[in-house]
Amino acid sequence: MSRSGGRILRRTVTRNGRRLWPGTALIGVHQACEAAIPILIGVIVDSAVTPGDGTALALWVGALGVLFAVLTMAYRFGARQLMKAIAEEAHLLRLEVSAKILHPRGVRTDFRAGDLLTVSTSDADNTSYLLDYVPRIAGAVVATAISAVTLLLISVPLGLAVLVATPLVLVVLQLSAPRITERVADQQEQAGRATSLATDLVTGLRPLRGIGAQDAAAERYRVVSRRSLAATLRAARTQGGYLAASTVLSTLLACGIAILAGWFALSGRITVGQFITVIGSAQFLVEPFGLLAIVPSWIAEARASADRVAQVTDAGLVLPEGVAAPAAERCELHLSGVRHGPLAGLDLRVRPGEFVGVVARRPADAEALVRLLATPAGYEGAVRLGGERLEDVDRDHARRLLLVEPHHADLFTGTIAANVAPHGEDPSAPGEGLSMAGALAAAAADEVVDTQPEGLGTPVAERGASLSGGQRQRLALARALLARPPVLVLHDPTTAVDAVTEHAVAQGIRALRHGPGSGFATVVITGSPALLAATDRVVVLGDGVVTAEGAHAELGSSDDSYRRLVLR
Amino acid sequence: MKLPIATAAESRAWLRSELRGRPGEVAGTLAVGVLAAAASIVPVYALGLLVDRVRAGAGTSAIVGISVVIVVAALAGGLATGLGSYLVGRLGARMLADLREATVATALRLPARVLDRAGRGDLLSRVGADIAAVGKAVSDVLPQMISALLLGVLSLAAMAGLDWRLGLAGALAVPFYVLALRWYLPRSAPRYAQERAAVAERSQLLVESMQGLRTVHAYRLEDRHLRAIDGASAQARDISVNVFTLFTRFVGRVNRAEFLGLAAILVVGFLLVRDGAVTVGETSAAALLFHRLFNPVSTLLFTFDEVQAAGASLARLVGVLRMPVEERSGGRAPADSSLTLDDVSFSYDGVTPVLRNVSLRVEPGERVALVGATGAGKTTAASIAAGILRPGSGAARVDGVPVTDLPAHTVAIVSQETHVFAGPLAEDLLLARPEAGPAEVEAALAAVGALEWARALPEGLATVVGDGGHHLTAAQAQQLALARLVLLDPAVAVLDEATAEAGSSGARALEEAAAAALDGRTALVVAHRLTQAAAADRVVVMEHGSIVESGAHAELVAAGGRYARLWAAWESRAPANAETRLG
Repeated sequence: MSRSGGRILRRTVTRNGRRLWPGTALIGVHQACEAAIPILIGVIVDSAVTPGDGTALALWVGALGVLFAVLTMAYRFGARQLMKAIAEEAHLLRLEVSAKILHPRGVRTDFRAGDLLTVSTSDADNTSYLLDYVPRIAGAVVATAISAVTLLLISVPLGLAVLVATPLVLVVLQLSAPRITERVADQQEQAGRATSLATDLVTGLRPLRGIGAQDAAAERYRVVSRRSLAATLRAARTQGGYLAASTVLSTLLACGIAILAGWFALSGRITVGQFITVIGSAQFLVEPFGLLAIVPSWIAEARASADRVAQVTDAGLVLPEGVAAPAAERCELHLSGVRHGPLAGLDLRVRPGEFVGVVARRPADAEALVRLLATPAGYEGAVRLGGERLEDVDRDHARRLLLVEPHHADLFTGTIAANVAPHGEDPSAPGEGLSMAGALAAAAADEVVDTQPEGLGTPVAERGASLSGGQRQRLALARALLARPPVLVLHDPTTAVDAVTEHAVAQGIRALRHGPGSGFATVVITGSPALLAATDRVVVLGDGVVTAEGAHAELGSSDDSYRRLVLR
Repeated sequence: MKLPIATAAESRAWLRSELRGRPGEVAGTLAVGVLAAAASIVPVYALGLLVDRVRAGAGTSAIVGISVVIVVAALAGGLATGLGSYLVGRLGARMLADLREATVATALRLPARVLDRAGRGDLLSRVGADIAAVGKAVSDVLPQMISALLLGVLSLAAMAGLDWRLGLAGALAVPFYVLALRWYLPRSAPRYAQERAAVAERSQLLVESMQGLRTVHAYRLEDRHLRAIDGASAQARDISVNVFTLFTRFVGRVNRAEFLGLAAILVVGFLLVRDGAVTVGETSAAALLFHRLFNPVSTLLFTFDEVQAAGASLARLVGVLRMPVEERSGGRAPADSSLTLDDVSFSYDGVTPVLRNVSLRVEPGERVALVGATGAGKTTAASIAAGILRPGSGAARVDGVPVTDLPAHTVAIVSQETHVFAGPLAEDLLLARPEAGPAEVEAALAAVGALEWARALPEGLATVVGDGGHHLTAAQAQQLALARLVLLDPAVAVLDEATAEAGSSGARALEEAAAAALDGRTALVVAHRLTQAAAADRVVVMEHGSIVESGAHAELVAAGGRYARLWAAWESRAPANAETRLG
């Protein structure tokens, strides 16, 4: 196992020392006061109640009041310091993990998106909880020490009996802990399954309703729910059994001590008040001892989370640091002999001003090409942008020159305007630049905006869920056009758009990016005849290499396989 | 419109009726709980007695009887505590299982329009987060709470049993505990809500950034997204610290109640001992009983906000339970499979008509394509034909039987929205017909040309697909939807743009799959690709919610109307002009 988690935990402790140690000291004071309460009860019985001494009563009850005041203040200020440290640490870890995940050069990790979310939320939190465990351990040690000293002062054999027997009982109880953990984990897993099934079925409610499968779905959920119930009951049985055993053992322990102390009291070796203190302290000690017994498993959990955090923060980056900065004017994209996944020696040259269509016989070829242009790593051959190898170009600069719009382009929470112009371009600026209205119109997204209640200011829900697939696609296309990159790569940009609109979009792209004298290059990877008809040149990919090339109309009339592929 | 939330009275009524439904279980659980609490009080009582024996100067033999009592009580109390905790957990878990099953069953049967208006997010959070929240409260908090409550009540009763004035002194703490809670809960609830909202916002930003990483990178948005995450995370952090600060003040108030109760017992005990009304042992027992309550009562109080949150979730679940659901009244089975729309009108908002007096007949076995621009009403007409939406006026019928009264599985619709259900691929299909055998499942997949790739999956048809499983392409997901239709084998099938998302290269394969799936059925197909229309027996062109043309493809092309212009544009692949953009 890696030691990186340990490093993260050590840093967590050292960088929060300013809050951690004062907080821990105050929690220690709080626990000392808690330990002193049963002692004080004994003292009050001995020195006030038994002799009927009113002055002593006033004095000691006053002392009890002071004890409670100190106890509560120590907790209040100590715990607040600790909470601040915990919250800040979790926040810092979260940012660190997020920054790594979003790093422009790409993070090298096996985690999936869902796992990364867990690392940035639960694992960051779990790691920060170390700052809660440290003071708890310290507090438990303080409380144990005070009670132990008190008991030993009252009677050495009694004190020893308590101090030896209590940990023994706790160790015995700990033996059954793995079984409980296992059962509880099973219970949680089954409950989690039921939850995901419920959300999955509700997410697919429309298709379900379409085939009248609501009853079948409800029945399927019922089966999983009953399985979850059975797991819950199994866990409850195990926990009940453990609770019975632990209650019997700890009560027997407390009773045994009480009986021993009672015998001592009957034989006059300790006073009534001391007898009461022993009973109270023995009862109280169960708590700090129990905490010390459970702490190793908590720390193990924090450690496991810290390991996962470290796996992300220590992960390498996919791309090297590029320094080249080719000119933006008349930028050329040139692939030669590229082997990457299914691509088997692909040559493709897109000159400035060209509008090139790419048709892939195998979808995997298209995906590999898009993936490679977005992240030029793990390939043979050369991908050159403006004459420089793409991976050698400064990442920020490369992405300004070459915009690769993924097929499933995401929209984000915010207004439509903020989505189309993510860098805050002024929506109304006419100037020499392209206006938002122009980009929207070219992508046929103007009618999307028109049908929204607040136009450009309409909020977009998480991942664009408030819009239909076709609306999302057109807005994403408008965003790509508005960005005006010298080289633009579009992957199936109109799959959710009807045929008529598709023609308009094709003309829009052509008019916007390929007017007279334009130096922009555009690559559209698609099987849509409407888009292909608007291009200057079509390149057909088969088995990872270029198998045909020519104008769309030419290929359409001369190449049968092309017709079957594209023209339906 | 939002989904309803049950009032406190409605939630209580639900709880009462659930408890009343299991009288034996409730009584047994309560009896064991009381036994457990009583047994744990006996030793303290006995020790009080021992104190007095000590003071009376009894010999060491006095220990024997008391020891026996204490040990027996410890054994009985421990066992009863474990059993009680199990019984409470079982009762809660069983009630919860019934509740969640009823909630999901209701959610699945909500009318389409209710769901469209309320949004799916709310319902998803109810069947997901709310059920989980109540479940966690039931298994983690409920048993402790009940046992702490019983212990508290019985301890007070025991103190009162020693002397009513000692009981009263102990009970002095109760109003202070209540005051502390009443101070805390109204202040904490909105802050917890704020905290949840802040955490939800933070998670949303994280999810969006991570799932949309390709887009974030393509547009150089990483700094922007990081700043947003930083802001949301910092806000969540500050709110958490703020909530906790409030909590520490609550703890201070609880400590005050503890001190007042303990001091009152000692002072009252002192006075009563001086008057000879109680013994030193009895006073000690009362003080020890009270001290022993510190932990369970704190736990009870500190989990109150969890209980409050679970209560809010419960209200949201009971709210769903009380919603009216759509039921198909099993009417007479139709003799043939002709589908008709008779003078159907429909409006979503009651103002703007979406369909106006649409009448349409599809003969048994006939395939009719609906063509028209976005907003022409095709999808609405298809939904009404499939019984998903109910028309404002008019009716959709199969052989004269309204579609909403048809026996199940007579009409089915495959809509644009595809979903791959999480789980083994074969089980996804079995949703359509749970009793189907493996051979039938394979035949259905084969019919839509999906068997080959399905068998080639890592574990064949047993491969886990959908969320968290093997990723299927959009085209594969649509093939699955069609395979479900084949397995269901309805007499009438409605297809709504089921090939739209496939990308052009996959579209033709899907069209073939759709044609195979519709084989032998009466079919209404919403066509976006005109090839789908050309392959149909008849084409119906819609515009602004009305039917404007109807006839065979060749007839309409020859007639030179709207459809002919559309077709010309489609076939020549020339850019369509404004005139051919229907609607």
